[in-house]
Amino acid sequence: MQNDHFWFTHVRLETGYRLENGVVTGTETGIFHMRVEQGNIAQIEPETFVFEDSLPKRDMNGKLMLPSFRDMHIHLDKTYYGGPWKAPSIATNGIFTRFEEERELLPKQLPVARERAGKLIELLLQAGTTRIRSHCNIDPSIGLQNLEATLQAAEDYKGKAGIEIVAFPQHGLLLSQSVSLMREALRNGASLVGGVDPATVDGDIEKSLQTTMELAVEADADIDLHIHDGGHLGLFTFQRLADLTEEAGWQGRVTISHALALADIPQEKAAAFADRLAGLGISIASSVPLGRTIPIPLLHERGVKVWLGDDSITDHWSPFGKGDVLEKAGTLAERFHLVDEVELGQTLGFITGGVTPLNRNGERMWPRVGDEASVVFVDAGCSAEAVARRSERVAVFFKGNLVAGALPAAR
Amino acid sequence: MEHRYWLINVRLESGYETKDGVVTGTKTEVRHLLMEEGNIAQIVPADRPIEDGLPQIDAGYRLALPSFIEKHCHLDKTLLGGRWRPVTPVKSIFGRLDEEKSFDASRSIAIRDSAANYLEASLRSGATHIRTHVDIFPEVGLSHLEEVQQALHLYKDKLSHEIVAFPQQGLLRSNSEKLVREAVRQGAGYVGGVDPATVDGDVERSLQTMVTIAAEEHAGIDLHLHDPDRLGIFTIKRLAELTVEAGLQGKVAVSHAFSLGDIPAAQAAEMADMLADAGITIITSVPMGRKFPPVRLLHDHGVAVAVGCDNVFDIWSPFGNGDILERAGRLAEISGFANERALGQTLGYITGGVTPLDEAGVQAWPKAGDEANLVLVEASCSAEAVARRSKRAATLYKGVVVAGALDQEQ
Repeated sequence: MQNDHFWFTHVRLETGYRLENGVVTGTETGIFHMRVEQGNIAQIEPETFVFEDSLPKRDMNGKLMLPSFRDMHIHLDKTYYGGPWKAPSIATNGIFTRFEEERELLPKQLPVARERAGKLIELLLQAGTTRIRSHCNIDPSIGLQNLEATLQAAEDYKGKAGIEIVAFPQHGLLLSQSVSLMREALRNGASLVGGVDPATVDGDIEKSLQTTMELAVEADADIDLHIHDGGHLGLFTFQRLADLTEEAGWQGRVTISHALALADIPQEKAAAFADRLAGLGISIASSVPLGRTIPIPLLHERGVKVWLGDDSITDHWSPFGKGDVLEKAGTLAERFHLVDEVELGQTLGFITGGVTPLNRNGERMWPRVGDEASVVFVDAGCSAEAVARRSERVAVFFKGNLVAGALPAAR
Repeated sequence: MEHRYWLINVRLESGYETKDGVVTGTKTEVRHLLMEEGNIAQIVPADRPIEDGLPQIDAGYRLALPSFIEKHCHLDKTLLGGRWRPVTPVKSIFGRLDEEKSFDASRSIAIRDSAANYLEASLRSGATHIRTHVDIFPEVGLSHLEEVQQALHLYKDKLSHEIVAFPQQGLLRSNSEKLVREAVRQGAGYVGGVDPATVDGDVERSLQTMVTIAAEEHAGIDLHLHDPDRLGIFTIKRLAELTVEAGLQGKVAVSHAFSLGDIPAAQAAEMADMLADAGITIITSVPMGRKFPPVRLLHDHGVAVAVGCDNVFDIWSPFGNGDILERAGRLAEISGFANERALGQTLGYITGGVTPLDEAGVQAWPKAGDEANLVLVEASCSAEAVARRSKRAATLYKGVVVAGALDQEQ
């Protein structure tokens, strides 16, 4: 079938909220037809529209269309996924035990790294994810080899998903003396500068952050740092990162992954710092850890962009992880008791880069003519249902191409 | 299905792999199981030829686990299979109670149908025993109980059950004592209750009434206790005293028991000893965003701990899927049970304490003579099944496949 010019017919779109006595009790939807041209939505017509062209038609049979999802924090390069089961060991020296293991494990896994990354991408596609930000180890023992494998996997899925790779000095930018390796990684396909706990791992917050920022400026790259350091140690690190972001003019180009310290400090302090993050366009990526969750709704209210990601999917760090970011959104809703129609539906924005079919007031926001035809069709009546019920993903499209699932059977 | 047959090529866990004294994996072996009158009559090595001409069903080298127990659900509340609805915003639990009083008229699916949908989901998840609470209050009388019993009757050959007569609107607050007693006489084996302080407003009389009904009607007790910290602890202590006085040891459970998660570990250990002495089971739904009882600590002190899915798509919660293995995985994830042994032992919270290997790695299940209640999963060991929520291929109850499918041979 012609992929660059066709109609999606009988697409269900959300059109507004249903109100009873001033309270939102449900979501109104309608059936539409949409013309897709060159990967974008070129025309949106009502159900009664009379077709006058002979373009191919893909009948979506009333399935609900949502913007496709983004998994903004994952490690494609060290998963066991697709291979035999193995539980993580008991870490006797915290994060350093894991580094020790990686020196042996990653070279051993290298021959299957590309294949496993591919299987994991496939899993993410099935969940409705078409944009992936993956961290990729850059350390002296594995060098750039994991990066090469991950880039190959990304190339294998080129027409199916947008994949960006963070050069991640997992064993410490300074601690493992990986600065030149990082520089090389950034010249060879990695598009963001990563890092991990400037205090606990590198032992020198200032120098670690300064070096990270220099690498970013030199390569004209964005930044995404893993910061697990808790309490005021983490907060102090965030504050210095914010200062450096401002000095370098790197507003809108920095992400803090995990940012666990925000779960430890009083709400007022978190709120005050959120304002600073919002002002500098520093985003937060969270895997919504169940035991220690940062106040995501509060950050969102304060204007901070918060993205969700799956993080580890069965690897030597964690045996868990489903690779389903809609499940993550549902977990977020459940964790923060976002249970009414509006709150549930708006939760979708955390996995779509902020795009929701309706805004908080029930006005139609998406799709619009000109939007990329990266969409997921779900077996649900509205966004709220999809989030709460983790509804079945029927078909996933990336720039107009079917990348997972199948067209629904005729009614 | 035949009363006697061989379930062939079943993978069973046989011990831990260890390296330098540390558990690094799980060893398995393949066995044939002779099923007879609903029990596992014989377990033989898979390389032994079977020449007795009995029918054979091939488990396909899948791992067998003891089938699961769903210890806390509300079959009369779920709307599974009905139209989507979000949760209505309310200011307090009392707003929700008011909404629920007159909710039946607006249900999009009859109780017996959604209850059956839930049972189907439970079976598919690997559960063959469920404990359900059923609302008993003046506005609905015993109608919920009757509908749930109808649904359970349809599944009588597929799973076993326990029913708790649950005065959701407050045993005292809604004057439901007589109705609860009536429900117990009509087949509910447990007297339920909810927050004697916050809902009933009289801890002592509420608990006394529950215990009196249970003792007089030879029933057990399962109390919903959300009341936090000292208030919850006070309530649990009093219930434990009354349990011992009434001789109800081993028949009483406290569901949720959030307060046990609010106190320091040393105090929780004292409470655990008291609960163990009184034979009181603690049941948790593993809530997110709320401290819940320290499961491992309770277990180590001899307290029976069980897990349930609680609300699944009803007027209280839009979430949940009725998959009890998923809930065990959540428990492991929140509690940091992430190594091979800790993951595998987590299974015990959804099997009534039965695990294929014990803590030391000695094979503990199955034994010849055990009831043939098992689930075949696409996993290499219990730890993998819990962490990965592995696919359930088939659930067997008393030797009969009650969910999923296996290839019949011969």
